[in-house]
Amino acid sequence: MKMRKYTEVAKVYFKSQFAWRADVVFNMIFTISKILFAYLLWRMPFMGKETVAGFTFHGMLSYYIVSSFLSQLEMSAGISGEICQRIRNGTFSKYMIVPVSIEGYFVAMEIGVVLFYLAFDLIAAALWVFVFRIEFTFVTEAPLLFCALCLILLGLFFMVQFSYYLGILTLKYQGIDTFLMIKNNLMALVTGTIVPLTLFPETVVRMMRLLPFYYVTYLPSMLLIGKCREEAVRGIVVMAGWCLVMQIVIWLTYAKYSRKYDGVGI
Amino acid sequence: MNMENIIETRNLTKIYKRYVKKEGIGGSIASLFKREYIEKEAVGGMDLQIGKGEFVGLIGKNGAGKTTLIKMLTGIIAPTSGEISVLGYYPNDMKNAFKKRYAVVMGQKSQLFFELTVNDILRLFKEIYEISEKDFQRNKAYFTELFGVRELMDVQVRTLSLGERMKMELIVALLHDPEVLFLDEPTIGLDVVASGQIRKFLKEINEEKRTTILLTSHYMEDIRTLCERCVVINQGKKIFDGKTEELFGEEEPAAVMERLCGGPESMESGPEAESGKSESEGVRTDENA
Repeated sequence: MKMRKYTEVAKVYFKSQFAWRADVVFNMIFTISKILFAYLLWRMPFMGKETVAGFTFHGMLSYYIVSSFLSQLEMSAGISGEICQRIRNGTFSKYMIVPVSIEGYFVAMEIGVVLFYLAFDLIAAALWVFVFRIEFTFVTEAPLLFCALCLILLGLFFMVQFSYYLGILTLKYQGIDTFLMIKNNLMALVTGTIVPLTLFPETVVRMMRLLPFYYVTYLPSMLLIGKCREEAVRGIVVMAGWCLVMQIVIWLTYAKYSRKYDGVGI
Repeated sequence: MNMENIIETRNLTKIYKRYVKKEGIGGSIASLFKREYIEKEAVGGMDLQIGKGEFVGLIGKNGAGKTTLIKMLTGIIAPTSGEISVLGYYPNDMKNAFKKRYAVVMGQKSQLFFELTVNDILRLFKEIYEISEKDFQRNKAYFTELFGVRELMDVQVRTLSLGERMKMELIVALLHDPEVLFLDEPTIGLDVVASGQIRKFLKEINEEKRTTILLTSHYMEDIRTLCERCVVINQGKKIFDGKTEELFGEEEPAAVMERLCGGPESMESGPEAESGKSESEGVRTDENA
């Protein structure tokens, strides 16, 4: 019974996505255009070369398609904005007065939205594999696939937690734009969605491995194209640890700052 | 605290801290280094007892502390000091068991999802409040019939008129049979017909279901028609608590409020008055439009 309320929240947000058809179309176009640019960009360094940093041209495109697909699914940024705006204009009480865990509500919301876009992003990715006749590299071993899926779920969950945490910081700081800017820049670099992390010096990569963002898009993408196998289990352990730490931080932060909420504007 | 009362407060106080800044760029730069705050007592020493099934009006000028009091009673904000008990709970603990027993409707803030249809929203709230299918169907049928909104149930909320939306807000709020209903300006902006319907609906809910209702409104028609008892607040203090007819008698609402609260008043007789009387007749005397 308890879980049904969150299932219904996910269903509501899944359904509400259908109201905005243009968003769906543009999201697909965005996915497609990213892959097109990647195709054009990576053709240059591969001219006259079989491999770059251990990647073949098709391996690189496979990585790009998978990581783009995963980064498109990571849509938690809106959570911080929603919470921040509602705390500032006094309408956060909309979530406070209903008998649900507010964080659980946002996790369920994210699941609903992600499930909706999952189908469309899959179609876009498959289309490009077909159009560019990419010899798509994809892992076939069940244990590795399982590890990659676990990491993807943990990564998406962590990002929801992180966005929620940044959102509730508004209770203390009123403005969280700086935090969001730092998060976005760090994410773009560390998740490897711009450049595969193997192109960075080893010391930099080692430092990034300490951060959770490394395991959000980059490692699952590498696992799905059959690379970095030795990091699979460690990745799951590290990511689960980060989720636990973040959860404790959220509980402490909310307990400390929720009493500062004054609901101005209502 | 007396457990016969559903709502009980003793010496309840809420003090807000406000950031103040001197005018101009210089003031803005100075505020980066040194912040100045002033304290404002929004509610002070409030003693209030409300029994089960009562319909109580809470009135006062803008900034009197009505909404702050409702926010404390619903747990949205924590009191600075004093005692507070609603249905036996300390509201700001925000326990789910407590949240299932009350509802709050704010005229200017929506609890609805604008992209969804009303039926979808009701289904969501059914699950959130863990209402059994039988109770859900019974209440849904009862409220849609009462409000005559059957044909609007499959319409997207964002396409509803203000009056229709407010009816839906009330249906959503009452779906789980709350024991206490907090209403903050539920008829604000509504026309004569819609506000009349809302009043009729609230009266029926109070009588049929014995729901305890605490209503704030600037429309005196709401208070006069619905509330047997009313509480007047001025500058965070309770200055009247008694029968509504005793408060108003034959006097104009604006005159009563001016006598009690002093200075220009912010009470309106209601949309009926707006359509039928001019400002010079003493109906609309304030700055709160």
